[in-house]
Amino acid sequence: MKKSLYRKGFYGVLLLSLLAGVFAHAILHPESHFFWSSFPVFSALYGFLGCILIIFGSKALGHYWLQRKENYYEKK
Amino acid sequence: MEWIHPGFIYILGAPLIVLLRGKVKSFFLLSIPVLAFTTLLLMSKGILLTEGKTWILPFWGYRLILGQVDKLSLVFAYVFVIASFCMFLYALHIKDDSQHIAASLYIGSTIGVIFAGDLLTLFFFWETMAWSALFLIWARRTKKAFDAGFRYILVHLFGGACLLGGILLHLYSTGSIEFSKPFLFEWGWEAKHFASYLILLAFLINAAVPPLHAWLSDAYPEATVTGAVFLTAFTTKSAVYVLIRGFAGTELLVWLGAIMAVYGVVFAVLENDIRRLLAYHIISQVGYMVCGVGMGVIGTIPGEMGINGAAAHAFCHILYKALLFMGAGAVMEVTGRSKLTELGGLYRFMPTTFHLYMVGAYSISGFPLFNGFISKTMVVEASAMWHLPVIWLMLEGASIGTFLHTGLKLPWGTWFAKSEPACEAKEPHLNMLVAMGFTAFLCILLGVYPQLLYDLLPYPVKYQPYNPIHVVSMAQLLIFTFVAFWLFREKLHGEPTITLDTDWVYRMMGRKVLWFCEKPLMAFASYMDQKVTEVVHFFVWMSRNPVLALRIKREEMTLKMKSLFANPSHLKERELRLVEKKRNYPGELPKLGLGGSLFLILLALSLYLILYLISLE
Repeated sequence: MKKSLYRKGFYGVLLLSLLAGVFAHAILHPESHFFWSSFPVFSALYGFLGCILIIFGSKALGHYWLQRKENYYEKK
Repeated sequence: MEWIHPGFIYILGAPLIVLLRGKVKSFFLLSIPVLAFTTLLLMSKGILLTEGKTWILPFWGYRLILGQVDKLSLVFAYVFVIASFCMFLYALHIKDDSQHIAASLYIGSTIGVIFAGDLLTLFFFWETMAWSALFLIWARRTKKAFDAGFRYILVHLFGGACLLGGILLHLYSTGSIEFSKPFLFEWGWEAKHFASYLILLAFLINAAVPPLHAWLSDAYPEATVTGAVFLTAFTTKSAVYVLIRGFAGTELLVWLGAIMAVYGVVFAVLENDIRRLLAYHIISQVGYMVCGVGMGVIGTIPGEMGINGAAAHAFCHILYKALLFMGAGAVMEVTGRSKLTELGGLYRFMPTTFHLYMVGAYSISGFPLFNGFISKTMVVEASAMWHLPVIWLMLEGASIGTFLHTGLKLPWGTWFAKSEPACEAKEPHLNMLVAMGFTAFLCILLGVYPQLLYDLLPYPVKYQPYNPIHVVSMAQLLIFTFVAFWLFREKLHGEPTITLDTDWVYRMMGRKVLWFCEKPLMAFASYMDQKVTEVVHFFVWMSRNPVLALRIKREEMTLKMKSLFANPSHLKERELRLVEKKRNYPGELPKLGLGGSLFLILLALSLYLILYLISLE
């Protein structure tokens, strides 16, 4: 019961942040430095995709190249 | 009195620490930063020198300037002094005086760097800073800490040598050692160009710019619990200060900074040790500052924004990073563990530590109402003002990674992740909690009331962090980072591995040098040694009876020659005679008459005369 309430609340926050972006852009018409600045949910998209890219990109880099056993430098 | 050097309060206070005990010592340790803070307030209020140069000493025809005071040096001095108060409070329970002394010297010399108005003073404090920091690492007294400390000091000695070389070349090409305006940085082959390359290289080493950064992630996590908290603040941020002073507006730094910001994030994903993970985030956060310095073209509005952003971010970063290291240190203090694979489920034992840590995590991630938000966005805004899309994307991307690791992966893996706690734990010492509480309070205070910090910055601030667009886009970025984290959180468990970094080069190179010395070089040396001993033995043997010795050698040669052609059985008798001769050697010495002796002496003297005449030519 408590868990599902948290979940609903969180979905609410998600939606709110997206709506707030749309409203803020519609009302304030901010100065746009880059072409994506005028897209009101760009940050949400960038956060979501960027996070996935960081997790999988770094893990691939680690598993295929950089990660070693903990005693790597101790062994002869 | 015109001025008091705040750094000298720490340096002169250091030897007094050993004389004190108990509560008096605690009081004394806290009074050092309070006293230094008072002098800074007096400077800001105009009672002591507010702007200008003072404490000038003559030195071989040059002027050493110990007190170069302006808004830039003041803002850095303020944060160093405030942070040192929090850190001393955190370390109050430590009985080992050497740590307090090293910390005090370390802070004092860093403030010395901040107020240095000439390059020689800068160099002196720069080196003191490196050496005193070393003792905070060695104070852990483990083999790993000793080894990491050695590597730390070797890298910094190299940096120091570069700095000194650069200073001497700069002196040679300009005739001045003053350090008040930026160096000329352009590509070329003359002495003045090399001077700026070397000085920049030394500054970049201390700022931990990849690939020169590995000393930081190697050494800081090996320091003591409290020592690491001190280390997070001073070396890298004093390097940011000297970069602002010496290389503001150097385009190279924009790219180096942005790469740094992303680099730290990528390596933090792979890290299992919580303090090493945070150390990689120092590199990432200093990246924002270095980038800000690079964009800081003096005399332009976006440039001033870049410099203000770098200084403001250094200010905020020192506070929240200290708080994060305090939290990770507290976990280490009570559990003796620092690996994510060995931690988890500790929330039920140490909720206060967790919540205070999270204030640092929200701050570093740039949540609105926390101090990271008011400073990081300044640097990002500067990149927008310069219209640098790639830099902007890299900096925003690094924000995502920062929240992902410091705000989600680390706390989740340490305090949650497992349904049963990985080990017993409790809240740390009261002074540690109070120090964390005070630092957390400062992080929120600056986040809520940024004007306190903006008034201290070198240039007037027109920037408004709490504009609805900024707040909403930051909220979207962080909330959706959380969504991605929650979906893929199982991928982010710690792995019992280490990650190779650029220290691999010198760690492995050192090993190869040792192998070369131990194997080929040693074999050659012992071969030479053996040959020389053989020659010496021969001469000693021969000198017993040179006449007979020469005969024996001649006989040996003849026999060898003959054995090539003649039947060996014919030579048997002569060989036996030779063996007999050798056994009887040296035998009876031949008698030399007076005439013979005189002849030999004359021969020797005339040889000597000939040599003398030749040498006269």
